Amino acid sequence: MAFQILLNVVLAFLWMFIKVSYDPISFVKGYIFGLLVIFVLRRYFHSRFYLFRLWSFIKLIFIFIKELILSNVAIVKIVLKPTLDMRPAIFAMDTELTKDWQITLLSSLITLTPGTLVIDVSEDNKTLFIHAMNIGEVEAEINSIKNSFEKAILEVSR
Amino acid sequence: MRKTNNIILETAVKVLLFFIALYSVYIFTAGHYYPGGGFIGGLMTAGAIVLLLITYDIKTVTKILPVNYRILTAIGLLFAIGTSAGSLIYDLPFLTHAFGDVHLPLLGELSIHTATLFDLGVYFVVVGVTMTIIQTIGEDE
Repeated sequence: MAFQILLNVVLAFLWMFIKVSYDPISFVKGYIFGLLVIFVLRRYFHSRFYLFRLWSFIKLIFIFIKELILSNVAIVKIVLKPTLDMRPAIFAMDTELTKDWQITLLSSLITLTPGTLVIDVSEDNKTLFIHAMNIGEVEAEINSIKNSFEKAILEVSR
Repeated sequence: MRKTNNIILETAVKVLLFFIALYSVYIFTAGHYYPGGGFIGGLMTAGAIVLLLITYDIKTVTKILPVNYRILTAIGLLFAIGTSAGSLIYDLPFLTHAFGDVHLPLLGELSIHTATLFDLGVYFVVVGVTMTIIQTIGEDE
């Protein structure tokens, strides 16, 4: 992905040198034409065409915003309840993610959505230990959320 | 005691360090027209190195930045004294600063002031002194 972006910038500079006009407008034009060339020749690269990955990243951001709003509403419901009948618990979750930045991103997303909190990562980076505020009713639901985050992150790094 | 897995901290520092370093450079260069300057820039650079020290251990950080901070302090003092004494060559009083517009081929018009070099000396001294203090405390067993 980084290589494709670098190539695109180099192509934009090449366009500027060919046209002998060194202003931002011609850079943008060269970038767009370079994008077109890279899109046509996208099967040469090992990774996907980088706009697709950018799109999956934007999708991940939207998933995160949605989850943030929903889970905050759930927390407000719990706080305003007259009876405190939640059941906190710590459970382990196996993750398929391998790279450092993927695990960090997943942990940050889990921690930023209220109700769950990453406490520790195991030595071999395969298991996350998560503290949940209300385990009884939501463990299946939490796992579905994790799957959505994990799937989205895998989608970004494919 | 089991060594904890610091993967989240390390990855976050990997990204954040460059932001902090660049911001400290900005603070250093902004000193003439905006709030900032050599002292606060140096402290912020030292803060970035301290963040590294928190994340890794002293051996690793000396491998990343093989800098002798005592020599850095001396270099900073030399900068400050040198720019102050430079005015003596032109028969002006000590600490008189010169400034002017310099035309460079790539960057265009730059207004350059010798107080910047003095500030660079301050910057080096602050980084050197702060890191010397922290390292000597940290290496005490």
